[in-house]
Amino acid sequence: MENLILEHAFDAKRNRHYLNGHLVVMHCHHYASLFTQLALDARELVDGTRILQESAEDSFRCMLVEYFTRHQIHGVAERIDIGCKLYGAFGLGLLEVPSNESEGGEAVVRHSHLDEGWIRKWGTRQEAVNFITCGYVAALFAAAYDRPPKSFTVTETQSIVRGADRSVFQARTRQE
Amino acid sequence: MAIQREKIIADMSKVKAAANPDGLIPAFNVLVNQLPADFWNEFSRTMVDSVEPGVREAIEGLLVNAAHECGYHTGYGIITSKEWDAVVKPMVRSVEDILHGAFAVFTAWGWADAEIVDLVPGQRMVVRARDYYEADIAQAYPGNRAPRCMGYMVCGVSAAFMDLAYGGEYDPTGQRGLYTFHGRQTKGIERGDECGEFVIERSEA
Repeated sequence: MENLILEHAFDAKRNRHYLNGHLVVMHCHHYASLFTQLALDARELVDGTRILQESAEDSFRCMLVEYFTRHQIHGVAERIDIGCKLYGAFGLGLLEVPSNESEGGEAVVRHSHLDEGWIRKWGTRQEAVNFITCGYVAALFAAAYDRPPKSFTVTETQSIVRGADRSVFQARTRQE
Repeated sequence: MAIQREKIIADMSKVKAAANPDGLIPAFNVLVNQLPADFWNEFSRTMVDSVEPGVREAIEGLLVNAAHECGYHTGYGIITSKEWDAVVKPMVRSVEDILHGAFAVFTAWGWADAEIVDLVPGQRMVVRARDYYEADIAQAYPGNRAPRCMGYMVCGVSAAFMDLAYGGEYDPTGQRGLYTFHGRQTKGIERGDECGEFVIERSEA
């Protein structure tokens, strides 16, 4: 499998950090948890969890597609492998994709920034919270199969935050 | 020794957030992530623009609070870190030096090119930012100009730094010390001003 190539750059004039040409910024689990809490709390007013998931998908898909293009990564298996490694480089956790096909598949997260951060901050919860990873998995499947944005619906079916030993995400082709 | 902002920026900008084999980045007493800035901006902008004007202020307040809590806990982790001890601590003689040093680190890590321009110890601080990633939100609006100030993260973290400086002993539960100050943004690059300006004041008891 391919090694993940990470190119960090610091623009000293603007004091901005770039990873593979994309502006990135460090934040902590408090910030990610509170953004997620905001998305959940605002549900009666706005579909915050969908916005969180789609914001993640849009951003990550762009980065993945550019990486695959720039480094000539054409095989689905290689793309999935790179996507899993990039997930870890972001500090989001340990992602595996044990099954995938063009219509969907399954992703497993054995360590999770979102879930472990949430538990550190507030403890366990009865409802899944990892909408950012739902967006990441949707982005990864779409980028791996050269599908357009919003091609996959991703649902978290098992969650570390709910007490499971791993989180599981099911990706299916979106039915419009 | 006065705070040498440029040296702090040069040294601290080299600190890299490397993940462990579990894909996690435990650092500064928190779990760190390193995500594309446009993800955070897009979520903030879409949330704020998707609600009725009467609710918008509440959503904006929660975005600031997210940064305020983040800044309080991560800020404490930073000023007690080995990186801080190596680079900044030798320059520190006072609480105010810690604040100036914290904004140099804030700049070095790419949150905002921000500096204190006025400080009344224990009471009030004015921060100006020449650049900050939230200003890029303007690109989503016609004419590259946001309809309002949207530097929620800079506002919240600036207030958190005042909490850490003057709000009493750090409390990891956030029950005490947090929210002893609050911030408001008075200028924004995203809406066409020449800089971002954030006024931080002590909260009412």
